[in-house]
Amino acid sequence: MRRFQVACMCIAGLWMSGAAYAHHSMEGFDRAKNVTLVGTVKQFKWANPHSWIEMEVPNDKGGVDTWNIEMTAPFVLVRAGWKSTSLKPGDKVTVVGHPQKTGEPGALFVSVTTATGETLTDRPPAAATPTPAK
Amino acid sequence: MRKQFEMAKVILTAGLFVTSAFSVMAQSAPPVPAPPPAQLGALAPSNIAKPRPKPAFDITGTWLHAFSRDNPFTFSPPAGFKLTPEAQVHYDAAKKARAEGKAYHDDIGQCWPAGLPLIMTRVWPIAMIQKPTAIYMVSGFMNSVRIIYLDGRPHTDPDVIIPSFNGESIGHWDGDSLVVDTVGFVDDHHWLDSGIPLSDKTHMVERMRLLGDGATLEIEYTISDPKSWAGEWKWTKRWKRVDDTDITEASCLPDLNAHMPSVTSKSVNVR
Repeated sequence: MRRFQVACMCIAGLWMSGAAYAHHSMEGFDRAKNVTLVGTVKQFKWANPHSWIEMEVPNDKGGVDTWNIEMTAPFVLVRAGWKSTSLKPGDKVTVVGHPQKTGEPGALFVSVTTATGETLTDRPPAAATPTPAK
Repeated sequence: MRKQFEMAKVILTAGLFVTSAFSVMAQSAPPVPAPPPAQLGALAPSNIAKPRPKPAFDITGTWLHAFSRDNPFTFSPPAGFKLTPEAQVHYDAAKKARAEGKAYHDDIGQCWPAGLPLIMTRVWPIAMIQKPTAIYMVSGFMNSVRIIYLDGRPHTDPDVIIPSFNGESIGHWDGDSLVVDTVGFVDDHHWLDSGIPLSDKTHMVERMRLLGDGATLEIEYTISDPKSWAGEWKWTKRWKRVDDTDITEASCLPDLNAHMPSVTSKSVNVR
């Protein structure tokens, strides 16, 4: 199984992903692409103004890369069903994010799927169309 | 002995002369003007209790910028805009950085305050509390404080005002609107948009109205900054009242930023 996949993403929804949820420039992320990371949670920070996930991802060279996944504000995540306990160190997860254009191990959060199969994003689950933080 | 006596006489005479000269000078100096009466604080009960016309609305509540395609959080320059040569340098550098997938002077990411007007359109809600004498705004983003004085005070003397990222806001009621005049901004690390700096010459006028039974806040912005561009630029933005949330404490901290790829990547951030 490829642990590192980069796939094109459809344009719909790109305009609001990340940029609308961040307080600063998102120029460094390639929001036209997704990277899928399969690895282990090292730390999940539940904090203002941004939450983040630090995770360890095995690379193709037999080593392990530490990735930082930048997330939005906790109050937005709460509305998307998140809790401070949603992720714990040691959790095996699959994270989808927009990668950094430089190739550095960092990404802008899109979704996470836990070992139990639960998927969390930063949008309310019932939302018919993507809307910014409400 | 006689010599010493003569010397003492000379010193005494000179001393008397100097003393009387100072006395004459003191009498002829212009009187020191009385200090102006102290401005009562906006939360002084005696200030709040003063009779005032009924305000057009009460903005008290929690508000969130209503982001949409036609209500962006950015304050982009209008078509045909003309920058000063100094600002054009920044604008061109930002454009080049953007083309290379980089951020230009992302000061907010580096913990500098967003300042007005950007602090109003972050994705964190803003708590607004209206008293007869002032409106207090606390942003859920970095807990930035903004005060709009409504008690009739003038702007602070430009030689005394302390520059800030949110400036000094003075408001007055005009029909169904609150008109807010803001000056007194800092001269650095303050941006209107990518590559467009704001300076200590920034002048901002906001016309605030409540629409839709008080559920929507609309603000028309008119901003000028002769150090950065010619003329006045205008935008209209909207906020929605969010009764199901409160603001929380938020701090830009080095250890949090260390895990934020967008602000730590040196190869992405152009300064």
